[in-house]
Amino acid sequence: MKYIVIGGSAAGLACAEQIRREDKTGEITVFTKESIMPYSRPSISYYLKGTVKESDMLLRRNSYYGAEDIKIITAAQVKAIDRKNKCVKAGRKSYPYDKLCICTGSKPFVPPVKNAAGKVNAFTFLDLENAKQIKAKAGKNTRAVVIGAGLIGMKAAEGLSKICKSVDVVELAPRVLPSILDEKSAKSVKKFLETEGHISFHLEQTVAEAKSKGDVITSVVLSSGKELPCDLLILAVGVRPESGLAEKAGLEVNRGIIIDPATMRTSDENIYAAGDCTVSVDMLDGSRKVIALWPNAVNQGIAAGSQMAGGGKTVAGSYSVNAIDFYGLRICTCGLINAKGSRYTDKIINSGGSYKRLIFEGNKLVGYVLINSSENAGIYTSLIETGADISALPGDIYGTPGPFVFAKAERDIRMKGALAL
Amino acid sequence: MKKVYAIEELCLNCRLCEVYCKTAHSRSKDVVKANKYEDPAPVSRVTVYGDNFLSAALNCRHCDDPRCVKACITGAMTKDKKTGIVYVNEDKCIGCMTCLAVCPYGCIKTGKTAVKCDLCRNEGEPACVKNCPNHALVYTDKGGESK
Amino acid sequence: MSVNYIPRRFTVVRDKELCINCGCCVRQCSNECHFFGDDGKTVFSDSNSCVACHRCVDLCPTGALRIEKYVCDYRENANWTPQYQQEICRQAETGGVLLSGMGTPKPYPVYWDKILLNASQVTNPSIDPLREPMEIRTVLGRKPEKLTVEKKGKSTVDMPPQVMLETPIMFSAMSFGSISLNAQKSLAMAAKELGTLFNVGEGGLHPDLKPYTDRAIVQVASGRFGVHSDYLNNSRFVEIKIGQGAKPGIGGHLPGEKVSVEVSNARMIPEGSDAISPAPHHDIYSIEDFRQLIWAIKQATGNSKPVSVKIAAVHNAAAIVSGCARAGADIIAIDGFRGGTGAAPARIRDNVGIPIELALAAADQRLRDEGIRSRISLVAAGSFRCSADIVKAIALGADACYCASAPLIAMGCHMCQTCNTGKCNWGIATQRPELTKRLNPDIMYKRVVNLINAWNHEIKEIMGGMGINSVDSLRGNRLMLRGIGLSEKELEILGIKHAGE
Repeated sequence: MKYIVIGGSAAGLACAEQIRREDKTGEITVFTKESIMPYSRPSISYYLKGTVKESDMLLRRNSYYGAEDIKIITAAQVKAIDRKNKCVKAGRKSYPYDKLCICTGSKPFVPPVKNAAGKVNAFTFLDLENAKQIKAKAGKNTRAVVIGAGLIGMKAAEGLSKICKSVDVVELAPRVLPSILDEKSAKSVKKFLETEGHISFHLEQTVAEAKSKGDVITSVVLSSGKELPCDLLILAVGVRPESGLAEKAGLEVNRGIIIDPATMRTSDENIYAAGDCTVSVDMLDGSRKVIALWPNAVNQGIAAGSQMAGGGKTVAGSYSVNAIDFYGLRICTCGLINAKGSRYTDKIINSGGSYKRLIFEGNKLVGYVLINSSENAGIYTSLIETGADISALPGDIYGTPGPFVFAKAERDIRMKGALAL
Repeated sequence: MKKVYAIEELCLNCRLCEVYCKTAHSRSKDVVKANKYEDPAPVSRVTVYGDNFLSAALNCRHCDDPRCVKACITGAMTKDKKTGIVYVNEDKCIGCMTCLAVCPYGCIKTGKTAVKCDLCRNEGEPACVKNCPNHALVYTDKGGESK
Repeated sequence: MSVNYIPRRFTVVRDKELCINCGCCVRQCSNECHFFGDDGKTVFSDSNSCVACHRCVDLCPTGALRIEKYVCDYRENANWTPQYQQEICRQAETGGVLLSGMGTPKPYPVYWDKILLNASQVTNPSIDPLREPMEIRTVLGRKPEKLTVEKKGKSTVDMPPQVMLETPIMFSAMSFGSISLNAQKSLAMAAKELGTLFNVGEGGLHPDLKPYTDRAIVQVASGRFGVHSDYLNNSRFVEIKIGQGAKPGIGGHLPGEKVSVEVSNARMIPEGSDAISPAPHHDIYSIEDFRQLIWAIKQATGNSKPVSVKIAAVHNAAAIVSGCARAGADIIAIDGFRGGTGAAPARIRDNVGIPIELALAAADQRLRDEGIRSRISLVAAGSFRCSADIVKAIALGADACYCASAPLIAMGCHMCQTCNTGKCNWGIATQRPELTKRLNPDIMYKRVVNLINAWNHEIKEIMGGMGINSVDSLRGNRLMLRGIGLSEKELEILGIKHAGE
């Protein structure tokens, strides 16, 4: 069997590894367009601020791939998938496959900022190459402007705040980190970021125009008319699924690649897709959405790999779970944090510097937002995933959840580590 | 594999396992220095839940198919193929705590990085087991999980 | 009461440099001596309720705690000692009898410490117990008057029911109620492993002890708690409890709050009701009544087991022992006044009864004089602190010894003498589930086994030194004993010579 995986990040690597677990002899080739071996993309902001070395960013030791007989082809941009002849084209060569998995991830969405295109000090912030370029440009006197206060934008802002003179963040939405925070917590987090990180926020604003000297941006003008000096512009408004390759190959695509939610199979029976480039079904409300988060990508990659190798692993259900930290402030969120409607209720526990919001649908926990209160968050996650009836639990779930949340029978299973998840 | 199992009927809620876990994972390996003076303070990987009437010490289950390893965004969390022990490489860990958000047992602790039980690096009986005054923690390969 | 007329007894000293504020002491002290300060992190101690049980000291991981005697001098008075004054204040406050636990702490003479043992030199060789067999097996029960054999050498005597022990040390009666089930279970497991017996006391037999019934002595006491046919038959032998060394002449009282579901089931009484053992057996008002009870028990057990009688060592103990023997008892246990208790009026414990050494010597002598020594086995009880005490008791005439305090100490008891409060931090003398679970039978039975094995080794060593290779040759062998610093009368009662004679 010849397996080809396009993309070498979370989903791609998980897929290749799962294939190897189930098929000891098949030929596995992973294409990555980047020039280094699979690495941790989320670490790039830590690389930027200098707390992680490049060598520590590699997801696996280089010797690992040899030992597992997984062939990684770096700097290989796959140009096309030839479904009829079952091969992919990269560079001048064509590689045949029996089973193919598309794990191309996301591409940055670049907002239309007048006069910003092609400037030498305007960057997106998605891969190590971006981070290296930004790091080369940033210095003690650099005044940086970040467009977008989402996860990527804020991680970039955090990284830059450690090495630059000032960081301004411009966001269209009325709050920071809109994808992971609710309104109330966003307010306090914003305050924390302002005092701890000395980041200036310009909410409900866009960058209308960049002013430049030659091909170097010198300042940006906001929609309000305010002008901010700018030596470094980061465009981090958001990401879109990288589904172009699939679309060109004639696979069913609607924003992301359409896949079977359990087996990850696309509209072609020999082609699978996993990770940020796909459209997932959120098991908690049945909605179709792109869940561009690491654990989801790995789970999908494993399921895809297993299916490709003839195994039986599937994804039981997808949901969002995310953890991130800013200057030591730990934010952990899961599930339907922005759920609206009378079906949902919530409970907020505020104490000292921590915030905990649990979101319920009837007797089921369907989401949480934990700020500096993420102890044992995974127990909540397991409650969300299993759809457990909260009212049947004997223990208190509003404090730090522990084994005594559960009745003896379930507790015994948990204490043994024998949960069937 | 050999793991640490808690017997809640025998747990005294004395929490000495936590004290000795911190000591075993400190720089000084001295119980007073480790628990009082070291900065950063060592983090206990085992946690006792409950009260004097009902309590149990919980630490990493070293799952066969660990979610924390799968969810780790940096490759810092690995399961040792030979010993089965799930380790955090603290140089690689960036402390995002995604592992904590997916561990269904609540066994990952927050330090500067993610912190978790390493079974005292497989060097015989872990410190928590060795120092449990009532044998409420046992180190055995007969834990009885459904495999 | 705003004025406390009694100074506290102990001071808890916390070395702040060593204390890591782990809170272990806070969570372990059932007397609530230790507590977290307002910050919820720093630990402090309040010495007032400290009983010096050492639970906190022993569990403190850094050795930061020390219990000191609280010294507060009174004006010197040899008569009105601080203790009497304090006891008066306690009674002035409560209007009740003073209760206490364990054996008397009063400095009455301990004759074991005034008796010295012999060893062989030149004329008869000593024996090395590591090289030569040394027999400490002990058989309890009535022995035949004489042995007759048929021509082929087979015995023609009908052997009365007897009990074989692998060591002359048994565990004395402690009921489920006075001690925890875990403590009882530890003793049962130890007895099984050691080949000796434990005594369930008068609290009935808990179903968890069923696997150990072949090692159990069951008691029939004045309260008749838990006594039924299965109870009597599920035992190695039955003991009729007449008295207890720590509280001769009075009954027992287990307060209702200690009568949990489990205790009530074992005792066959309603949950929460006071378990009162009357002072006398209300069906025994004469030696004839007593003879009937012994006979009834023998009938109930199909004459398959010896029947034992336990009496407190009182002034005419020797005559009582003789009477019991004639009433049909096979084993008589004499409990000296230093024996332990779960709860007793302190005044009784500290003033009533006589030392086991004197009672034992007198009883043994009396039975010999009357020619009925072989009819019964004598078991001595009432504080054996080490193997030498056991050896001396055997040489004074005991067939076996009952030990309770020593195995309890092996299980963690620190003789704080507050058994009666039910708050035993070591999980021994309590029924509170959060405390009883502190005593893990799997750990504790091994400690008890170790202790008795150590004593067994020492007994063999001492016997070997005397040139004696079996405990049967030591029994009643008073030539092996010499008194030191004893009066003529004491020597006469003990039946021993003075050192140097």
